[in-house]
Amino acid sequence: MSKIMLCRCEDVTLADLAHAVEEGYRDLEEIKRYTGFGTGPCQGKECLATVALALAQVTKDDPANIAPFTTRPPLTPTPIKLFAGDLSGDDSAGDDE
Amino acid sequence: VDRRIYRDGDRGEAITVDVDDKPHRVFVGEPLAVGLYASGVEVLGRSIKYHRPRSFFCLRGHCGGCLMRVNGLPNVRACQIACVEGMTAESQNAFPSGEYDLLGAVDWFFPRGMDHHRLMAGSKLLHGAMQKVVRKLSGLGKLPDPGGTPAPMIPAGAAEVVDVVVIGAGPAGLAAAVATAQAGLTTLVVDEQLEPGGSWLSWPGGAAAATAQIDALMAAGGTIWSQSSALSWFPEDDGGVLAVATPDRLVRITAQRYIYATGAYDVNLAFEDNDRPGVMSARALGLLALRDGVIPGPRVAIVGLGEYTTALAGALGERGVEVLTVDAERVRRARGGKSVDALDYVDAAGKVVSFNCDAVAVAGLPAPASEAARTHGARVVLDPAEGGFAVIVDGDGHTSAPQVVACGDVTGYQGPHAAAEEGAHVGATAAAEIVAERTTP
Repeated sequence: MSKIMLCRCEDVTLADLAHAVEEGYRDLEEIKRYTGFGTGPCQGKECLATVALALAQVTKDDPANIAPFTTRPPLTPTPIKLFAGDLSGDDSAGDDE
Repeated sequence: VDRRIYRDGDRGEAITVDVDDKPHRVFVGEPLAVGLYASGVEVLGRSIKYHRPRSFFCLRGHCGGCLMRVNGLPNVRACQIACVEGMTAESQNAFPSGEYDLLGAVDWFFPRGMDHHRLMAGSKLLHGAMQKVVRKLSGLGKLPDPGGTPAPMIPAGAAEVVDVVVIGAGPAGLAAAVATAQAGLTTLVVDEQLEPGGSWLSWPGGAAAATAQIDALMAAGGTIWSQSSALSWFPEDDGGVLAVATPDRLVRITAQRYIYATGAYDVNLAFEDNDRPGVMSARALGLLALRDGVIPGPRVAIVGLGEYTTALAGALGERGVEVLTVDAERVRRARGGKSVDALDYVDAAGKVVSFNCDAVAVAGLPAPASEAARTHGARVVLDPAEGGFAVIVDGDGHTSAPQVVACGDVTGYQGPHAAAEEGAHVGATAAAEIVAERTTP
């Protein structure tokens, strides 16, 4: 069925955003929690600006008053083994290759 | 299907990569997503909720559209891994395969969308049953098979101290790095892509400009780490470190200046079925055509007008592609199932017409990739004219945070030529400041 997709990771549509606004949500952080946009593998890289600008249009708010949702590391998908090694900076420690 | 251009001669070694146990011909070194697309694979996986067909959108590791299970590891970005002999891949979120996914029916059951807050809330019994199904289906990818992959190596972390670290090897970052390296400062550029060059690589003539910058940087003693992502600034760690993931270790970087030249993300525009495979960012199409020598087919539509659309349409025209360029306001919907086959738009007479095509390229205003700078304390403001949350800078690239500098599209989209100019100025200014700080006690 035809849909206008804002967030392809979590399948959040323009209609979902309109619904969240109808429910009274105005802040990007709460819209993220309500619709799930920006919570997929891209963490908002593709959709944050799109949703923010669409929200400004729907609510007629001044864009400058719209804050992004909180950024949390890691900013890119990272194998967790990189965090498991010795971080002292000593090359010999824990390097088993 | 073979979408490759062979007129430039040898493409290297042809091999086969299995996807869902079906062999496909690719060339060694091609990014997996590109190699598969060039050989006619339209669908790389399915979306998590409606099981809509998914493929790459940006080809730069940002969009999450090309995730596959590769060599038994889930959620690998197929655009960021090069094809090698013996590689196998599986489409995700699909049964039995991305191409024929029975769960695709979900999309039809919920034509107006699924409100997961009120899923079957009317009946307690149905709700319980539905939750069981949802639990089975949710989650992204399938864990590695037990014993299927060798025990993971645990690589030691490392520390790196430099005068200047530049995040992003695109036009602005490379220009800034050349300036600081030529001023005699130790300069490290970290870049997340398979090869440096950033947005140059999707511009006609851009590859030569990138090579010239890279050569100048090497001549001045600078260093580039490819496939290396800045994960975040950690202020609490030893007075602050920038954590960078290289292909084989975690590195904690400290510097006198942190120059964020992270560019801008490709964004989609709002029209119906804008997520069909074959709807891709214009710069992804630029990468395909110019970097990879891959053409979607004889007809392509570009949505959104501007300098880049004109340049890309010209480059495609030279390669024999018929191109429709159409203002974003006029676009209504993409047509097609597993891949796009037409674009509906409003013509000059006000009538909705259909343009049959092999791909739809979306040229929206790219959104500043400002997260990394934000973790480092740089202030951003949402500005429609800048494409999104742009880092606020003065004329010399200073942000609101000390030692944090930004240049190029991350401060608002400007395109590679202007970004390179800005990067050169910002790099030279930062270098002069560091030298001055050293001579004044």
